[in-house]
Amino acid sequence: MSKPLIVGSVAYTPNVVTIWEGMRDYFGDGQAEMDFVLFSNYGRQVDALLDQTIDLAWNTNLAWVRTVLQTRGECRAIAMRDTDTVFQTVIVARAGAGADGLESIRGKRLALGSKDSAQAAILPLHYLKREGVDVDDVDLIRINSDIGKHGDTGRSELDALSAVLDDRADFAALGINTWNGIGREELMPGAFEAVWESPTYSHCNFTALPGLSDDRVAPWLDALFAMDWDNPAHQPILEMEGLRTWVPPKLDGYTSLFEAVDEQGISPRW
Amino acid sequence: MVNYHVVLDLARRVNNAPHGAMVTVPLDAGSEPGLQRIIADWCDHTGNELVRIEDMLATVRRGRSDPLGGLAAGQLPGSRVWIYTNFDCNLACDYCCVRSSPQTPRRALDSGQIRQLAAEAVEAGVGELVLTGGEPFLLPDIAELVEICTDALPTTLLTNGMLFKGRRLESLRRMNRDRLALQISLDSVTPDLHDRHRGRGSWDRALAGVRIAIAEGFRVRIAATLMPEHVETLAQFHDFLDTLGIASEDHLIRPLAHQGVADHGIVLTVESLIPEVTVTADGIYWHPVSAVDDDHLVTRDIFPLASAISQVRSTFRQQRAHAAAAAQWFPCA
Repeated sequence: MSKPLIVGSVAYTPNVVTIWEGMRDYFGDGQAEMDFVLFSNYGRQVDALLDQTIDLAWNTNLAWVRTVLQTRGECRAIAMRDTDTVFQTVIVARAGAGADGLESIRGKRLALGSKDSAQAAILPLHYLKREGVDVDDVDLIRINSDIGKHGDTGRSELDALSAVLDDRADFAALGINTWNGIGREELMPGAFEAVWESPTYSHCNFTALPGLSDDRVAPWLDALFAMDWDNPAHQPILEMEGLRTWVPPKLDGYTSLFEAVDEQGISPRW
Repeated sequence: MVNYHVVLDLARRVNNAPHGAMVTVPLDAGSEPGLQRIIADWCDHTGNELVRIEDMLATVRRGRSDPLGGLAAGQLPGSRVWIYTNFDCNLACDYCCVRSSPQTPRRALDSGQIRQLAAEAVEAGVGELVLTGGEPFLLPDIAELVEICTDALPTTLLTNGMLFKGRRLESLRRMNRDRLALQISLDSVTPDLHDRHRGRGSWDRALAGVRIAIAEGFRVRIAATLMPEHVETLAQFHDFLDTLGIASEDHLIRPLAHQGVADHGIVLTVESLIPEVTVTADGIYWHPVSAVDDDHLVTRDIFPLASAISQVRSTFRQQRAHAAAAAQWFPCA
């Protein structure tokens, strides 16, 4: 038996332990044994991948982009969640504010999530620029409440929503998962409304370096893709990790973030 | 105006909580009850469990759990149903949990009620019926009642075993040995302890009843009420039951309960007892050990049985969820 694959993940919630212990147990039943290492932030995790301390990194989209930049494109993504292929950024305002589209943000206050959050900070600015809205014409309120975790905790996005409720901001930028998590417009009537939704883009993936051989990756991927929502033993793990099924990576979904990182001069090593 | 900050605060705290952990957020006095509905809806939407809203606090469990999930299959309320056929008894034990004696009014369930209960028990997914009293063999139609039950489900009949002669022995002989087990009360290896609580000569007659039941081909369980003075003789008691041919899984030893006419024993409350749905002529009770205790009355309506089972399960589920919540709130270390 080959040695276990070591997967790195960032501990953005205590449930990460439960999730990865569940994954380890699942893989322990087959021919693709794995273990995991938790990091406090994505910077350390990417360092560990580059140092080959870990074999795979469960990376956010920003961590993927930085790994690509640091390896000059040598790394590869091997799988992602179905939900990672259709991620979106949503801009919300107070219900009834009469705003519609990115143009309506010009001259107003926009609350952004943590500066290393692709969905709540980096991509919103990219889409504003693409829409022709100069960010200098927007009063940006940065809420860096979960730096290092690339917005995974959702904390900075919820804080941005609070800023809108308190009239400290006119708009908030969120990931679609946070927007869905508060029930969109439905659960809190009269509170918020979406004024713009981004095109879909890719979010997390399992990232490997070229040195990781196919004969180690292939059985692990076969087992990963065999996880089945309809299997009661698998479903709790899949549900906690926020997916129905694992899928091959959708790499063209990272184009907008590569452009944003380049535009905003974001360091490849953060 | 509803204070939506409470919902955002709840989302922040729940997002950061381990699966199964409790999160409590204070409510805003001016925003009830709309806020309560929104919190309930948010929990439904996000797959978290609203444990309770009271005293201006909302308590939410991260994820969902089945409070009954840790129970063995046989402990799930409604997996078996107890039926008090009657309350009168030929004995007047000084620790009887339901105050039975020769003077106790019969308060029997008639054959029509037993038939309906058995049929509804099958419909409700009950796996076993347990008939008890009082002393069921005092009923002239006990063989008919048992037949109704054994035709429907595997059944256990509790008795003091002292009445197996004459027409009552004939009643016993008519019962279905494949579907019926007898549970006979015997408290000690020698007559003294047993007779002290149940009456002079009762041990001899109970033991004779055990032997008759075994000889007649019935599976016999022995149920003993554990007195403090029993503890040292427990191993000896098990050996004694072995010599009678009672299988070890049929040795049932239970502590004395402070119920009925017992003046001491462990105190049992609805909160401390895993319920076993218990039907009497007076209504449905939480547990057979407390079937004359008004505090343990579930409902006066014995039909439909499924409703009573559902009510017991629902109450028990809430209790266990609240107990888990309390455990989270008051850690000792």
